[in-house]
Amino acid sequence: MSRGPRAAGILLAALVALAATQAVAATGPAPASSSAEVQRGHYLAVAGDCEACHTAPGGKPLAGGLPIATPVGPIFSTNITPSKQDGIGDYSLQQFSDAVRKGVRGDGKHLYPAMPYTAYAQLTDADVRAMYAYFMHGVQPVDSRPTQTHLPFPFNIRLSMAAWNLLFLDDKPFKPDPGQSVEWNRGAYLARGLTHCSTCHTPRNFMMAEKPSHALAGASLGTWFAPNITPDPESGIGNWTQQDIVDYLKTGSAPGKGQAAGPMAEAVDHSLRHLSDADLSAIAVYLKSIPARHDSNDTRAADAWGKPYADFAGLRGKALPKDPDQMTGPQLYDAYCATCHQDRGQGSFDGGLPPLFHNTATGHRNTDNLVMVMLDGIAWRTDGSGVHMPGFAQELSDQQIATLGNYLTQHFGNPAAMVTVDQVRTLRAGGASANLVLLVRVLMAIVLVIVIAIIVAIVRMIARRRHRTTSQPAP
Amino acid sequence: MSTPTSADVVVIGSGICGALAACRLAQQGLSVLILEAGPRIDRGRIVAAFRNSTRRGDWMSPYPFSPWAPQPEYKPRDNGYLVQAGPYPYPAEYIRVVGGTTWHWAAQAWRLVPNDVRIKSLYDVGVDWPITYDELDAWYQEAEEILGVAGADNTGSPRKHPFPMQPVAEPWSMRRFRERLAPAYAVVANTVARNSRSYDGRPACVGNNSCQPICPVNAQYLGINAVDSAEAAGAKVVPNAVVYRIEADAKGRIAAVHYYDPDKQSHRVTGKEFILAANGIESPKLLLLSATDKYPNGLANRSGMVGRNLMDHPSSSLTFYADEELWLGRGPQSPSSINTMRDGAFRAQHAAYRLDFTNISQVNAVTEDLIREGVYGPAFKQQLRWRAARQCNVKNVLEVLPHPENRITLSSEKDALGIPKPEAHYSIDEYTRRGADVSHNDFAKIAQLMGGTGLRYSLDGQFANNQHITGTLGMGNDPTKFVTDGFGRSHDHENLFCCGTGVMPTAATMNSTLTAVALALRTVEHMHPRQATTKESVARAAAETSA
Repeated sequence: MSRGPRAAGILLAALVALAATQAVAATGPAPASSSAEVQRGHYLAVAGDCEACHTAPGGKPLAGGLPIATPVGPIFSTNITPSKQDGIGDYSLQQFSDAVRKGVRGDGKHLYPAMPYTAYAQLTDADVRAMYAYFMHGVQPVDSRPTQTHLPFPFNIRLSMAAWNLLFLDDKPFKPDPGQSVEWNRGAYLARGLTHCSTCHTPRNFMMAEKPSHALAGASLGTWFAPNITPDPESGIGNWTQQDIVDYLKTGSAPGKGQAAGPMAEAVDHSLRHLSDADLSAIAVYLKSIPARHDSNDTRAADAWGKPYADFAGLRGKALPKDPDQMTGPQLYDAYCATCHQDRGQGSFDGGLPPLFHNTATGHRNTDNLVMVMLDGIAWRTDGSGVHMPGFAQELSDQQIATLGNYLTQHFGNPAAMVTVDQVRTLRAGGASANLVLLVRVLMAIVLVIVIAIIVAIVRMIARRRHRTTSQPAP
Repeated sequence: MSTPTSADVVVIGSGICGALAACRLAQQGLSVLILEAGPRIDRGRIVAAFRNSTRRGDWMSPYPFSPWAPQPEYKPRDNGYLVQAGPYPYPAEYIRVVGGTTWHWAAQAWRLVPNDVRIKSLYDVGVDWPITYDELDAWYQEAEEILGVAGADNTGSPRKHPFPMQPVAEPWSMRRFRERLAPAYAVVANTVARNSRSYDGRPACVGNNSCQPICPVNAQYLGINAVDSAEAAGAKVVPNAVVYRIEADAKGRIAAVHYYDPDKQSHRVTGKEFILAANGIESPKLLLLSATDKYPNGLANRSGMVGRNLMDHPSSSLTFYADEELWLGRGPQSPSSINTMRDGAFRAQHAAYRLDFTNISQVNAVTEDLIREGVYGPAFKQQLRWRAARQCNVKNVLEVLPHPENRITLSSEKDALGIPKPEAHYSIDEYTRRGADVSHNDFAKIAQLMGGTGLRYSLDGQFANNQHITGTLGMGNDPTKFVTDGFGRSHDHENLFCCGTGVMPTAATMNSTLTAVALALRTVEHMHPRQATTKESVARAAAETSA
């Protein structure tokens, strides 16, 4: 499982091939330094989840090298330890600030927006200073150079990002809204900035920039789906209490509502669970205040569907079909799910193994997350809890997952939600791919043709004018 | 993909020992081919088959039977594959599928106690092992770290480093045994390859209580996990490859093995080295089957000991109703036991033993009893609840001594492919029976301490078998008395190695798998030593883990 979608962010997030890269074997937060500012910077770095992307599987923390798969090739995270030869040890505060908030690295070249600097741009000067203190004094320098990123033309022209930034980067730090509470402002600052919620949860326009009009209204990451987290009671999480949201961000689970999986489980595991209760409450307050975004296809909250159901009477004493693809929904449920989620989908008595009804996993119209969790399971890397749910990618065929998925949505979730064999095949292969390289080259060719046409037109015009000028009789 | 016909190392049998040996060698860059007589199976389908079975207590019932790779089955009736020559029945069970018999073990992963390897010197019974417990310690540790083993520290088996993890939470029933039997008996957590926490990508036990016939969530280590690791390391597995002959060349080296596919087409596979890991019955069967004019008694059989010294663990038991609700069935099936009788001067007179408490749900057994008794209606419901809450059971796990006349031979009967079936010659001697008698005093005392009523002892002289097939390829330094040397290498064929419980010279009192795995790891180290640095780093990693 990769860190891909959450971080690949602005340009490429929607196209990232999630499953291609290895897991992050990040350790917990680094030991705190004595200085209060360094400690505060550490907290902010955890909130920003820097380590998740800037640590290779099995590698040293923050030494970079994690390949973030994109349709145009892997973007390798960089060494952001204070190593002078391989990291950011020589960075001035200004250079650090420009990298984090403007996407411009020390040598003046542009970063790819796999780095979520459009969100980090919200950071205050004081917080950037604290993070700088942490990166310079609280992080062990690691002298190792991760693999360099080499994207194909035209993406290898980093300057092209300058134009994109001009259009889509709001590089002004967060300004508190005096009409709102201190708590709301803190929540807004974190959610829009460091915790970069919108990177995944806000849909993007054709230039892959977030659509402000649809903030946090839900977006596909290619494999996993980041749902609508606006306060709409049917399409979003309007029926969640503030405490539900805090529980979810702290533990990855809001009992009776849903549990974090995929990139969200990673965000909780690596970052959110380390935030203070006050900060999590602030984020919840803010999330409950943003404009609700309703989709008329949603008639009920995703976690308000389904009820206990069992359908085994016809199974007992009968042989399974020889062809595994012919297994029925109840047979598959009996074989692969009932062990933990119990015979009627009710989960364990203490909620440790969640029920499948009243669960966003089965209640969303978009079934990508249901398929993804059946394929990949849920594993937490850093808190020691490890496997929360085993994945079944090796054991279940595309047909079996489709049959099972439809059984689950039919009886425990949103009956209108469907899983198809093609969908499973696509998700298993890493999600819908778009040939961005080809697309951009075609676009550039068109632009080139237009530019040439314009030049030709101008030249002709000038020539004509000159011709007119010369042909006109002198006064 | 065409099936390979040659490899550096050819492994016969894909059980936990063969697969882990294969994995280790593949990791070192050798080409490894695993030949497995049975088919691949899928965990979920076994779970579904178990749930659908009308014979929940028959742990073979969910597993497929393959006519080309028959396995002994006794329910609903004996299928006659393991021919019984007597005088005492030996109804051994094993599964011939990719991954082998640990598909349905209870994951008990015991070490020996140090004196187990010296019972001839100390007590003048059985034989001594050609290695010491100290030599085994590091291999036990490596095996325990691969399998993910937890257990109590006071079971009589010393260790230099801690277990990789804490035991699974103690079930209520076991807690009550522990509390009520103290101080007369120390009830401690069994040493098991079962996850109390997420380990090596496998989840923690969630207490389904169906360890046998199948762990539905992959929380206990199985042979199939070893197969997965071996394949990930580059080993190739050929399922449905029924080896029927091992071929030695003129110099006595093994040159090839021959196997039938299910259509009885014969295939020949060559290799530089061969590992025989087909369990304590099929392995000697194969050596005996491979007899030629030059080796009229079969391969590796200069000593005449191939197939001899067959051992297992017979058990007698006591079932009773405790005077309180214990509700067996929550948590794993075999969580706790009493280990204070595993060694002592008494071993000169009678068998050592462990006392094992079952934690298997009693609902099925009690239901069958009530139906047999003709109880129905409201009385049935009331009785079912009362008995299922209170019924419990303690059994002994008795040591048996190696006797050459207890053995596996080739039967005159043939299986579907025309291969002779194995034939078991077995008896239970007075040494073991005396041990059983002594342990019955413990049974009585335990029942008394638990306020037991309705005491039902297993029938006198009747023993249940524990499927810990041991012996038949015994290790020893004297080539005229033992099949394999102290590293599991055949005394007669320098490139033939045996991995599995068969090489164990004695059976002691513990489930044999972990010892067999430790010995197998030691065997492959002997075949292909790791670079010193690798070994050191492994040792250091182990030390760091345990620090």
